[in-house]
Amino acid sequence: MSSTQSDSLEEFIPASQTELSRFMTDNAATSQKQIFPVGGRTSLSVCCASSLSGIQVCTSQLNRVIDYPVRDMTITVEAGMRIDHLNEIVSAEGQRLPVDVPQSNRATLGGIIATNTSGPKRFSYGTIRDYVIGTSAVDGSGNLFKSGGRVVKNVAGYDLKKMLVGSLGSLAIISQVSLNLRPKPETLSMVWFTFDSYQKIDRALEALTTSGTRPTAIEYCNSKAAKQIAAESRFELPCENDVICISYEGSNNEVHWQTNKIIEEWKEFSPLSAQIVDSDHATRLYNAFVEYQTSSDDPVTLKAVVLPSQMLEFVEAATELNIAVQAHAADGIVFGHLPDSASSLEDVKHILNRLKKEPSLQTGYLTIYQCESEWAEALPLFCSSPPGWSIMREMKNAFDPHQLLNSRRFAELVET
Amino acid sequence: MVEQTSQTITQKTPLLAELKKGSSDFSSLVQQLTETVGKEGVLYDAQELLVYECDGYIVDKNAPDIVVFPTSTEQVSKIVKLCNQYNVPFLARGAGTSLSGGCLPIGGGVMIVLTRMKQILEINLRDRYAIVEPGMVNLHLTNALKGTGYHYAPDPSSQGACTIGGNIATNSGGPHTLKYGVTTNHVLGLEAVLPDGSIIELGGPTAEVPGYDLHGLYVGNEGTFGICTKAIVRLTRDPESHRTMLAVFQTIADATRAISEMIAAGIIPSALEMMDQGIIEAVEEAFHFGFPLDAGAVLLIEVDGLEIALDEEVRQILKICNACNVREIQRADTPEERLLIWKSRKQAFGAIGRLSPSYCTQDGVVPRTRLPEILEFIEETSKRYGLKIVNVFHAGDGNVHPILLFDERDQEQIQKVLEASEEILEKCLELGGSVTGEHGIGVEKINFMSRIFNQTDLDAMESVRNIFNPRQICSRDKVLPPIQSDEKSTVKQSHPTRHAPH
Repeated sequence: MSSTQSDSLEEFIPASQTELSRFMTDNAATSQKQIFPVGGRTSLSVCCASSLSGIQVCTSQLNRVIDYPVRDMTITVEAGMRIDHLNEIVSAEGQRLPVDVPQSNRATLGGIIATNTSGPKRFSYGTIRDYVIGTSAVDGSGNLFKSGGRVVKNVAGYDLKKMLVGSLGSLAIISQVSLNLRPKPETLSMVWFTFDSYQKIDRALEALTTSGTRPTAIEYCNSKAAKQIAAESRFELPCENDVICISYEGSNNEVHWQTNKIIEEWKEFSPLSAQIVDSDHATRLYNAFVEYQTSSDDPVTLKAVVLPSQMLEFVEAATELNIAVQAHAADGIVFGHLPDSASSLEDVKHILNRLKKEPSLQTGYLTIYQCESEWAEALPLFCSSPPGWSIMREMKNAFDPHQLLNSRRFAELVET
Repeated sequence: MVEQTSQTITQKTPLLAELKKGSSDFSSLVQQLTETVGKEGVLYDAQELLVYECDGYIVDKNAPDIVVFPTSTEQVSKIVKLCNQYNVPFLARGAGTSLSGGCLPIGGGVMIVLTRMKQILEINLRDRYAIVEPGMVNLHLTNALKGTGYHYAPDPSSQGACTIGGNIATNSGGPHTLKYGVTTNHVLGLEAVLPDGSIIELGGPTAEVPGYDLHGLYVGNEGTFGICTKAIVRLTRDPESHRTMLAVFQTIADATRAISEMIAAGIIPSALEMMDQGIIEAVEEAFHFGFPLDAGAVLLIEVDGLEIALDEEVRQILKICNACNVREIQRADTPEERLLIWKSRKQAFGAIGRLSPSYCTQDGVVPRTRLPEILEFIEETSKRYGLKIVNVFHAGDGNVHPILLFDERDQEQIQKVLEASEEILEKCLELGGSVTGEHGIGVEKINFMSRIFNQTDLDAMESVRNIFNPRQICSRDKVLPPIQSDEKSTVKQSHPTRHAPH
């Protein structure tokens, strides 16, 4: 255990779950200071922890492997383990956690569960919620509770681990996680396409629902984002038009067959250009897509979740507002970095208000994915109430009765 | 058997009113229910109620006082509000295929049967979801999707009878969940009537919604958080092709080693099902598939995906099976042959009737590599108790289903079945597993909860249940050890006997 203090934010670094639990119990019973759980500090601008006073509880020392029965394809680790470290361990056995994580050299497992981080591969492999088979966590009163177990199939008791996914550290601090793993594929390849109209893109995307191929990810970026992704990946992606990149994973044989097949299938939509990206370049390009959601220096990054069939409509509106946009096209998840011209809070609110009127958001959601801390307190994280908001508030009260865990932020998550 | 636990639980269940037949309250409630759903939607005749005294778990029985068949969310809400007004317990039921007593009406009360809410409300292939009512039979959804290139992936073996609402309540599995995941991986959102009668939406058709994953939390609540009235489920692309094989092994040890080697080699079959010698004999006697009767175990192995990749995958599987002393491998070359192979697995339960007048199926889980140990323990237990136990199960998930054969007319055998089941499940826990992989806790395994979880874990679960169901008026005394109260449970053990196929 170690503890430091700088300015108004103290730091506590537990060395074990028991220490974490004891610390939280003591805090709840005595000082009742605000607690900000942090892992690799990659999502501070989501929860805005650093701008408030209280105690940062850092999970960096909770980083051990508890159990790795390789042939069971499951692993139990402490939640402060960094994603790259986890991948290194399981990769040596030909396995992986198939969830894309930006800044994976810093991001921790507990952090990506709390923030429900995902990337392009979610289209075919799902998100972290699909791989967590057990958790231990410490709530705002210091109670260390577990859910699930270490076997891949288990329905004993309520699935409390699900409620922690996306909870932004406002219910409990995740301390230990058991995961289901998958085999590592032999290779990755990508194919990019450009078109001269949204109509053609829409028809091509619709055709993917019955394509003979099985893409692992379908990424879309407008021309502004394409320029940034090309620069980041040092790959000559065409930047004059919007770009669709489709990725395939598997054996060399099946990937090769699929990349050729999709080019054949999409000829009928008259693409302006198309190219298969070989494995080496594909990895670089793919990584740039993974990192894009957190790669901007711009003050605000938006995230919209819409139905896939309405994704283009939203992208068109965002592009008109000069927003650089990347989308997981088949999932309807859009990230947008606001332009430099959005230099004041009023500008940002103006853009938000324009976007909120988009019909695609009737069934979808707009959130502030990241923003600078001085604006964070003035902007709601969620631009509309999520379904079940009243139950979420009751859960917050039940698991954090003293309102200590990321609480000031939690109360302001939703715009009123 | 439903027992009080020794745990100290301070919160007290509010006393719920007993529905006394013939009382003015009873008549008044029946009248208002009839006004809500029509005369043909309410049952309260004692003979008719017997149909609903248990589900697939028939160790414990208790008939509800009234059964009601709503046809809309609004009707469900109104029924629930009436139950609150009269202070009587209620619970939902689908097809009644639950195997752990999830549909057991403890304390009697009103049973809300959802089988008339069975419509498909929307199929959206572009956005890959369907919206269905909870009484929709699982297989009917996949049948409705035939020809579209999509299907609904969770496929419990009872999928021809069980409902989507029931699958959500228990987070059901099935043979193909090894590759495709269980129900929770395929539910995007739902609508539910909460125990106070209010209607709520959780999740939605979009890939995610901000905030806590409440629909994820709701799946597997076993009916204790309210009544699901609509489900938004994910649709999955049909695989381009399949390869289905039957691998015959001399010993169980060889078969389980083959399973372990396959997973270790990074092969995730879409299904990996095992039948032991006892089941092989029964199936062979009933259906004459041509299985060698002296084989120790048979593995049903199915892989699916792109046609171009499957032969290589099959080649690797054959290599592994050969290294594990496989005796022979039968391969389905036509869709008809594939169906025949699956028939041998799916009809295994039907064949058990030839072996014994009664049987009891358990639902333990162990890490996949511990299968040899649990199977050995099951065999020892079988010998120790002088009970025949056969095995047919989801080997790829480590989800064992030992089937204990007995004669329900023999009280001594019944006791042996209960004790042997408990020992097997204890062993699953000792090996790092769980007591239920897909059937749920219900009332059957409620006493195991305090062995799996400590009091803090249970308190956390209870605080969540209290948010949804603070009075425990909905599906009372399920999942969590019962709260001590002055009320006497009206449930009594009758006899363990056949369970529905899982």
